[in-house]
Amino acid sequence: MHLLKNPWKIGAGIAPAFLIYTIFCIVPIFVSFYYSFMSWNGFSPMQFVGLANYKAILQDPVFWLSFRNNILVVLASVFGQVPIALVLALILNRKVKGAKFFRTIAFMPVVISTVVISLTWKMIFNVEYGMFNWILQKIGLEFLRQNWLGDPDLAMFAVCVVIIWQYVGLYFIIFMSALQTVPSEILEAAELDGANEWQKTWYVTLPSIWNVILVSIVLCISGSLKTFDLIFVMTSGGPANATEVMATYMYTETFRGLRYGYGSAISVLIFVFSIGMISLCMKWLGRRVA
Amino acid sequence: MDAAYSPSRIDDRFSRKARVKKRIGRVIVYAVLLGFAVVNAYPILWMVMNSFKSKQNFALNPFGWPTEWVLANYAEAWETANIGTYFFNSVFVGLVAVAVSILTGALAAYFLSRFEFKLRAPLYGFFVMGMLVPIHATLVPMFILMQHLKIINTHLALILPYAAFSMPITLFLLTSFMATFPKEVEESAVMDGCGVWRIFVSVILPMTRPVIATAVILNFINNWNEFSFALVLINDDSLRTLPLGLANFAGEHFTNYTGQMAALTMVLIPTLVFYLLLEKHIVRGMTQGAVKG
Repeated sequence: MHLLKNPWKIGAGIAPAFLIYTIFCIVPIFVSFYYSFMSWNGFSPMQFVGLANYKAILQDPVFWLSFRNNILVVLASVFGQVPIALVLALILNRKVKGAKFFRTIAFMPVVISTVVISLTWKMIFNVEYGMFNWILQKIGLEFLRQNWLGDPDLAMFAVCVVIIWQYVGLYFIIFMSALQTVPSEILEAAELDGANEWQKTWYVTLPSIWNVILVSIVLCISGSLKTFDLIFVMTSGGPANATEVMATYMYTETFRGLRYGYGSAISVLIFVFSIGMISLCMKWLGRRVA
Repeated sequence: MDAAYSPSRIDDRFSRKARVKKRIGRVIVYAVLLGFAVVNAYPILWMVMNSFKSKQNFALNPFGWPTEWVLANYAEAWETANIGTYFFNSVFVGLVAVAVSILTGALAAYFLSRFEFKLRAPLYGFFVMGMLVPIHATLVPMFILMQHLKIINTHLALILPYAAFSMPITLFLLTSFMATFPKEVEESAVMDGCGVWRIFVSVILPMTRPVIATAVILNFINNWNEFSFALVLINDDSLRTLPLGLANFAGEHFTNYTGQMAALTMVLIPTLVFYLLLEKHIVRGMTQGAVKG
């Protein structure tokens, strides 16, 4: 580190990044907050309504449904993506032929555009031609054929399958690189002491990558709170709001229903909810690490 | 642990049993991995395969390989879906936004990592905190802001938020890397009479190249795939980026499955090529944060 006598130079160096970031990433959050106390349709003059939007939201059954769905997505991600990825990483963390190939395939969905993934899976879940129903029929489980995305009771399940599928690879690769940091001396020592595979995994490997697992859980939660594109493209929150999450509901209310104030209030709640959830996790994580 | 070392036949039998057990273990391992690979790759492959089927063939046989390979879907999708235009828009917006965020980000990272000043730590924290901001929470104000700036429905309306939302990860990657350079790096340059800017351009930037590459690739992929800002801020069909254009095309031709699949494949192929060529960078960029904690 060096001391620079001229603070103007530092200012000039940081200013461009600071301005772009502040104006287009941070300020909108506060503006959202301001708009959430207003009522207007995007054209008419704004009208201050105080907490009316928030009161209305708390009594809005669709909002609570979308909130519940958001929680479902978080749960599906944490209990789907992380354990599957962990088990696969533990399995692949030995000398297997074609390890590189498996890694490449594993990470592939993470890179593909969410819109491509949503549209592909929409067709996979298609009633008549979809791959899903077709496989069920071929293996003699025809009675399980469903209108996966059209049935309000099943649509959320179908959406969660895709969400898990899309990101398992990310956590798989994260765990793989973490496993490489487990010191082999300790594993060898455990082996000399007569520990079997299970014991080695349970008592040596998992504790040494525990921090990475916790970080992944936090990433997983913050990532799943960002779910929007996938659901918007696959179902637009339908059928009958069955797959609505807070972000899709916010979009529909604001830009289709032209209730800008109401939409802004939902935005604020998304923000508060996300930050609250993540800081809770961080706190929990911090305690576990200490 | 070879059988040759075993002193007695009991040990010998034991090791044979262990070997059989090991072999069964390996079979299970490969079965699980293969299953995983199929689950991961097959949905994509299914889509690509069907994009080459005629509509009748797809309706009769939505599962196997095409009985004859048809390119009509591609011609149709290319003509009706404007993929060429969307493609250009995506590349243009993606690249300009990356350039803006890397240029300004690298400069800021240089000062945040190589100099001591009072606001250094809080500023860095302020930048990195942005990773937690959920994009959708900013959609409404962004829409109105762009209206006020009179740039709504232009590419600039996408470039600015894309650059802004790439800033946290860019600064995180670059600052933490630049901070690892030893002090002597600048000292010799100062002896040679280089100023602050000169050191940045001819000493620090070249040394940061590998991480800049990671940041460029990561940000470009994020911009390339971005959907929600494009949805809200762009109205003109001729200005749409690929994700938005595709979603729209699919919405308008929702029963034309093979056409949709052809359009999706055309968008997918460049992404996959890009991924296979730069896999190491991409994977590193996306996972580094988590492993380092």
